[in-house]
Amino acid sequence: MGNLLEHMGIERDRVHFSWISSAEAIKFVDIVKEISEKVRALGPNTKLVKEYNE
Amino acid sequence: MAEKEIKIVSFLCNWCSYGAADLAGVSRLEYPADIRVVRIPCSGRMSPKFILSAFREGADAVWVSG
Amino acid sequence: MNTCTKRIREIASALLEKKEVEKVIGFATGTIPMASNPIVVTSKQDVEKLVFNSTCGLNLANYIRNHKGKIAVIAKGCDARNIVTHVIENQADREKLHIIGVPCSGMIDKNKVASLFKDDIVEFIEDGDTATIKSATKEETINKKDYLRHNCSLCTHKNPVIYDDLACDEGEEQSLEIPYPDVDAIQSLDANAKWQHFQELTKNCIRCYSCRNARPLCYCPTCFVDEAGPQWVGKGQDETDVNTFHFLRAFHCAGRCTDCGACVEACPMDINVRDFTRKLNKDSFELFGWEAGLDTTRRPPLDSYSPDDPNDFIK
Repeated sequence: MGNLLEHMGIERDRVHFSWISSAEAIKFVDIVKEISEKVRALGPNTKLVKEYNE
Repeated sequence: MAEKEIKIVSFLCNWCSYGAADLAGVSRLEYPADIRVVRIPCSGRMSPKFILSAFREGADAVWVSG
Repeated sequence: MNTCTKRIREIASALLEKKEVEKVIGFATGTIPMASNPIVVTSKQDVEKLVFNSTCGLNLANYIRNHKGKIAVIAKGCDARNIVTHVIENQADREKLHIIGVPCSGMIDKNKVASLFKDDIVEFIEDGDTATIKSATKEETINKKDYLRHNCSLCTHKNPVIYDDLACDEGEEQSLEIPYPDVDAIQSLDANAKWQHFQELTKNCIRCYSCRNARPLCYCPTCFVDEAGPQWVGKGQDETDVNTFHFLRAFHCAGRCTDCGACVEACPMDINVRDFTRKLNKDSFELFGWEAGLDTTRRPPLDSYSPDDPNDFIK
């Protein structure tokens, strides 16, 4: 999925997958931090956003 | 922070990551407030449609976690 | 008439006469030059309508679902692979199919030929490796090899992978050093240029869903574009809706597309919709060593689990 999105021009770092057990709160926090950092670096997404007419 | 707020739509499995998020909250761990959590009954409920929908509705990133 | 057509007619009439099959699905000459229609032949008299030439670009595997009795179908290399996919996905019963395999030498790119002429083409006659095309004002003889469709020029499975009868001798398969030059070209662009490429590509899309209907892979009773609650994708020509449609349409074909080119053939706006699916073909080959429709005994990568599956993308 990520690969095709990237192929279409949506940056790879905009789709993340992970595997966290319910006991791994620390890992959860680490991953949120990591993803948040990566996405902040990319900035807001403008592609594939539907614009609705008011 | 001057940065614009970002939104990461997170699809979390009820039994795994959702539990981890809960535990993180109970343990008072701090993490960035950029995520918007959608609880799904199982990672198997996930569909590519959800990811595209999230982007269409203006998400900056999507995170799927089992 | 070429020998292939002759053999197809012989096989078809023998099958119908012996009542081995109820109907034969094949190609017939269309109403305009360079366009062959699918046809269903149920009686011996109609067998003469069957043809096979390099304008039979559609995929007949699309018509093998939901038949009660046994049917015969004419299959090029790519069609045969789609039949295998149907058998794997339980959409067709191999026992109820009689496959007339036709080793294929590639299909003509109609747009490329049409670009030689300013006016409408009125006649298209094939003779071995060359073809003579006439319009009201001009006549051209072309070498068919130079006017093949893009997917046919990159084809590595000309000969049917499964068949009960073979209509002509098997040809030699080509092997390619760079099997996905078009995908590589797009991959070398940066994110914005890629996005731009696909915007340009789909900007003419009129959402007629011809690509979906021509493709044998799309047999869902309700397609996601027709679902109304929730509505995943809008119906108009809004850019985002068009992109969502093409993206998801392609993604549903991951590991199943045989690159038969029927989607491009059917597109009235001449959009190269294969740009989406080719990437997935390349990925399934590189990640899983999988090419769709080669083996009825193997399960496709996306519905089987193996401990060796690539999982680098999971954190």
